[in-house]
Amino acid sequence: MIDEKGLWTRRRSEYWEMAIKYLKLIGNSGFLFTIYLLFVFGSYYYGQFLEWLPETFPATLFFTVVFTWLITRGRVRTFAKPGDLFFLTPREGKMDSYFRSAIFYSWMMETLWIALLMLVLSPLFADRIYPSGSLVFSVIFLLSALKLWNLATGFEEQRIQEKNRYFMHTMLRFGLNAVTVYAIFSLQSILIVIGIAVALLLFYIGYFYRLSKVHSLKWERLVDIEDSTVMTFYRIANSFTDVPALKSKVRKRAWLSPLFRLVSYGQSHVYRYLFSRAFVRSRDYFGIYLRLTLIGLLFLSVVQIDWGRWLLIIVFAYMTALQVETLKNHFATSSMADLYPVSEKVKLKSHQFWMLSLGTVQAVVFGLGLVIFFGVMDGLLGVILTMLVYLYSSRLRLPKTYSL
Amino acid sequence: MGEILKISNLTGGYQRSRPVLHDVSFSVNAHEIVGLIGLNGAGKSTTIKHILGLMEPHKGDVRLMGRTWSEDKDDYRQGLAYIPEMPLLYEEMTLWEHLELTAMAYGLKEVTFKERANELLEEFRMKKMVKWFPSHFSKGMRQKVMIMCALLVHPSLYVADEPFVGLDPIGIRSFLDRMVEMKEKGCGILMSTHILATAEKYCDRFILLHNGRVILKGTLQELQAQSNMHGADLDQIYVEMTKEDKND
Repeated sequence: MIDEKGLWTRRRSEYWEMAIKYLKLIGNSGFLFTIYLLFVFGSYYYGQFLEWLPETFPATLFFTVVFTWLITRGRVRTFAKPGDLFFLTPREGKMDSYFRSAIFYSWMMETLWIALLMLVLSPLFADRIYPSGSLVFSVIFLLSALKLWNLATGFEEQRIQEKNRYFMHTMLRFGLNAVTVYAIFSLQSILIVIGIAVALLLFYIGYFYRLSKVHSLKWERLVDIEDSTVMTFYRIANSFTDVPALKSKVRKRAWLSPLFRLVSYGQSHVYRYLFSRAFVRSRDYFGIYLRLTLIGLLFLSVVQIDWGRWLLIIVFAYMTALQVETLKNHFATSSMADLYPVSEKVKLKSHQFWMLSLGTVQAVVFGLGLVIFFGVMDGLLGVILTMLVYLYSSRLRLPKTYSL
Repeated sequence: MGEILKISNLTGGYQRSRPVLHDVSFSVNAHEIVGLIGLNGAGKSTTIKHILGLMEPHKGDVRLMGRTWSEDKDDYRQGLAYIPEMPLLYEEMTLWEHLELTAMAYGLKEVTFKERANELLEEFRMKKMVKWFPSHFSKGMRQKVMIMCALLVHPSLYVADEPFVGLDPIGIRSFLDRMVEMKEKGCGILMSTHILATAEKYCDRFILLHNGRVILKGTLQELQAQSNMHGADLDQIYVEMTKEDKND
């Protein structure tokens, strides 16, 4: 006998146990500090940004687009597993309570995101749409209700087999959402809002609910939705830590292969060879390096305070160095690499070589950016600071992680 | 004849309290192919891991050219090449890069490497695939990559763990021909396999491992004499010797 409600609770807590482990790792990886920095600089520049924003900025349209997207996207999280295709399909008719829990859970999570985004945007809302704090909460309430309608209809919608019709239904929802969200942000009278709500409710009862009587659940689609949700989470977590479950494909990135020429033939270069391929082609080493460098550059170009820029350089260089450090374990599970007659010392030297090389490139990028935005002295200081971080990481930190 | 590998009274396993291998002794000489034979779980892979220096013995020792692994790790490993049962490839490296990396790791001269690599690619019919990544390889192709990497280095000892699995007939033939060639050059070869007909044809001596102990060793004639099965082939001896278990 399967207890549907119990199954739901168990799967939800299994997921969160896993998620919390990763969230802890993310918290420990300097991410919180970055968020804090963002918050400090963000709140300082927010006011300036609003003043700078021209009067003609179409705020209502902006809010409509952003929230229509946020409300249309995302589906009911069912925690469905591939095995369900075999084990749960016979009980499909008795799984109402399971899916009701799923819809409720997804609604809570999505409401959290809506509320968060609305709060972040609330200064803009107050400045351009209506200067009242309490209205922000009414808007959140209405958007959340609309989200519930979307989750419920979206869940019935997944029963439709044909891809085209499925897509058309999503588009239909998108259209209805756009109208509703626009009504909310253009501050239509309460009667109109109630009118729309009643219409949507009738539409659900009259059409979407009937879909559930005609069509069966499309379990494969539910599993796909679940998979892609988990993968999204893994991908985010993977930017901070190593996610073993994420088997991302090897990318060739042929345009980076000139980098391989830095490695000449010879026994002492075995690990330079391995690290270069790993860095360029596998997982996300290169992607993270590029992102951190570009985001760092972006921050450096806008922050006007001297010590703020110095701090940013150190933080971004250090975060990048930490990522390059993880290359060490890339071949930890390969017993072939263990068998080579090459010592740990050679490996450490190669690792240091790449860390310093990548550091130099980042230093040049930061330096050039600073020269352009602020002047030669700033650029020079940027290069020196970046290199100091990398020297510290490669000469002092890295050897400690090796057992020599 | 020079003794290349000598295992003396090796007792080992993952847990000290429950060793997998009990007092295993045998050797592999130059100019010799030795077949390591046993049922699943007999301890073949554990023996091989001890030879590779991936596991450390509880008792006894493993000597390659007279040295143990702990005496000089890199020197020891320079002397052997391993062909694993499951191909262990780097997903982010092309076929050519696998060969180049192996050659670099074992300190081959670049000219020698290119010469040998091209010869091997030709022989194993993998020339077209030099720029391919392992994700495009079949099981047999992956195994060929491992074999080519091992054949690239000319070490004193080859350790091959079930090298035939997934190989096409031409691949098997090329591999065996190469092994014979290496043997004639003075290499020692230890080959673990379940394909007894092939083993009988190519191996000079056999080690029969059962429940972590060496129960028979020697040439086919010696095995026949030890088991009192004159004229029997390896297959019959193998089945008979591992059957005994049920009676006691």
